[in-house]
Amino acid sequence: MGRLVQAEWTKLLTTRVWIGLLLGSCLLVGGFAALFTAFAGNDESGIAPVGTPAYEQLALAVAANANILFIVLGIIGTTQEYRHRTATPTFLATPHRGRVVIAKLVAYALAAVPMALVVIAANVLVVSVYAGAKGEGPSLSGDNLRVIGGVWAALVLFTVIGVGVGALLRNQVGAIVGALVYLFVVEGVIRSIPATQGFYKWLPGGALEAMTATFDMTDLLSAWQGGLVLLAYALVFSVLGTLIAVRRDVV
Amino acid sequence: MAAAPDRPAPPEEDEISSARQAVVDPVRVDVQGLTKTFGQVRAVDDLSFTVEPGQVTGFLGPNGAGKTTTLRMALGLITPDRGSTAFNGVPYRALPEPMRQVGAVLETAFHPARSGRDHLRVYARAAGLPAGRADEVLAQVGLGPAGRRRAGGYSLGMRQRLGLATALLGDPAVLVLDEPANGLDPEGIQWLRGFLRHLSHDQGRTVLVSSHLLSEVEQTVDRVVIVGAGRLVRQGSMAELRAGAGAGDVLVRSPQAAALAELLRAAGAGVTPTDGVPDGLTVSGLSTAEIGGRAFTGGVELHELRAHTSGLEEVYFRLTAGSEQYAAGPAGKDAA
Repeated sequence: MGRLVQAEWTKLLTTRVWIGLLLGSCLLVGGFAALFTAFAGNDESGIAPVGTPAYEQLALAVAANANILFIVLGIIGTTQEYRHRTATPTFLATPHRGRVVIAKLVAYALAAVPMALVVIAANVLVVSVYAGAKGEGPSLSGDNLRVIGGVWAALVLFTVIGVGVGALLRNQVGAIVGALVYLFVVEGVIRSIPATQGFYKWLPGGALEAMTATFDMTDLLSAWQGGLVLLAYALVFSVLGTLIAVRRDVV
Repeated sequence: MAAAPDRPAPPEEDEISSARQAVVDPVRVDVQGLTKTFGQVRAVDDLSFTVEPGQVTGFLGPNGAGKTTTLRMALGLITPDRGSTAFNGVPYRALPEPMRQVGAVLETAFHPARSGRDHLRVYARAAGLPAGRADEVLAQVGLGPAGRRRAGGYSLGMRQRLGLATALLGDPAVLVLDEPANGLDPEGIQWLRGFLRHLSHDQGRTVLVSSHLLSEVEQTVDRVVIVGAGRLVRQGSMAELRAGAGAGDVLVRSPQAAALAELLRAAGAGVTPTDGVPDGLTVSGLSTAEIGGRAFTGGVELHELRAHTSGLEEVYFRLTAGSEQYAAGPAGKDAA
C-alpha cells in the first residue's frame, strides 16, 4: 500500500494542478480576509470591529472558502485517470482496484494536510498584518485556534470527499460542475426554504459552518458533530466510489 | 497447473536490470471459453486459444471482431460473462506482481502534461520497481532524450514507444500489444518487428500482438489466432496458414478453353471460368504438371499455366469475410 500511495504522490507532483489550486486558494482566501478586515467595524457591513472575538473568528474562518478548490483537487485526482485513460495502466499495475482508490484517499488526505496549512498561513498572515495596522491583530489561541483547527480538518475532509465523488462519477467536468452547483446553488436553496431549512445542518456546507463558527448559531451542529458529519460524507463517497471502480469494466 | 507459484521469487529490485538479458521463465497463456455481451451485441463468443512462449503470436481479425475486448478480459480490466484466462495457470488479477510477469500496451494512455519519464516513474513506483528502470526502458525503446519532454507533444510513433516502455518496466515474461503498429512509420514498424522477434526468439518471452491487418504482422509472427465476430476462425502456425493459401488452384489460359475444361473435368478436376481473364480457367484438384500433361496428350493449345499464388491476405479475407458486416454494426465501438 505504501508504494501505491507514493505512486499517487508522484502523479500529483508531476503535473501542475496542485500548484494552481494552492495559489488559487491562497489568493481567494487572502482576498476575502482583506475584504472582511477592510469593512470591519463598518456599521453598514455588519462586521464587528477589529480586535473583537467576533471579527477575529470570522476573519480566520475565511480559509474554509477554499473548500471548493480542495474538493476539486480530490475530484481531479480520480477523474484524471478516466479523462486521460490512464485508468488502464493504473489498473494493470494494480488489478485490485479497491487498493488503488484507498491509496488515492490516503495520498490526497495526507497531501491536503500541508496544502491546507499553507492556505491557513496565508489567511493568518493577511489578517494579522491588516488588522494589526488597523488596531490589533488576532491572538492565535483559544477560540481563534479552534476555528483554525476546524478549517484545517474541513479542508482535508473535502479533499477526501472529492476523491470519492470523482471515483463515483468518473467524468471530470461533470463532477466538478456538479460539486460547484451543489455547494453554491443547491445548498443555498435548501437553506432558504423554510420547509427544508432544518436539513441544512446535516449537509456538507452546514457541517463545514459548524466546524468553523464558534458563535451561538442554534441551527447548526456543534463543531465536533460537524466534523463527524463531514467525515461520514467522506466515508460514504469513498466506499461508493471504491465499489463502482471495482465493478465497472475499464473499456 | 498452478505453475506461477513454483517460479522462483521475483528478482530483487537491484537485480532487475542485470536480469534483463537473461532468458525468462516460459509462460503459457490459456484463453478458455471467453464470452462477453455488451447490451445486445455479443462481442466475444466462447473464444479459446493458447499463446506459446518463445514465439510471436498474431491476434488477427477485422475491426470489431472482439480483439480489444478479449485482451482487456485477459488482463482483468473487463469482467467476462463466462470463461477465463490464465498465465501459467494463474488469472491476471491473482498474479502477485502482475507488471513483473505481464506487460501490456492497450492504448496510448498517459497524462499529456506529464513527461514520458515521469509517466514511467509513476508505474515503476506502483509496481515497486527501482526508479532507474524508467531510464532503462526509455533507452530500450529508443526514446531516451525525449523522455523529459511533455508526453502530450509526442508523435504517434513516440506514444507507441512510450506504451511499449511502460509494458517493459517490470521485465515481464509475457507481452501483450494491441495494434502496436498503428501510427508507426515504415522504419518504426521494421524496428518493432526486430524488437519483438528479439524479445521472443532470443529471450524466450511470450508475445501476443493484435492487428486488423495480416500484412502488417505477416513478417513478424510465428503463429496466428484469427477471430471474426468474436469467434475463433483459425489457429495455427504461419506455415500452416501459407500452405492453406490457395494451395492446389491453378490458373490456365487457352484459346480452346471449352475443350480444355471438358478434358480436365473428365480427369476429376473442378473447373470454373476465371473472372476478368478471357479464355481463363481456374482449376482445382490437379497440379500444373498434370494439367500440362493432359493438355499435351489432348492436343489443346495453352497460353498460360501457373499455380494460383493467392496471397495470405486473400485467405485472411476469406476466413473473416462473414464478420465484416458485424464490424459496421453496434460493435463498431469495440474497434480494436
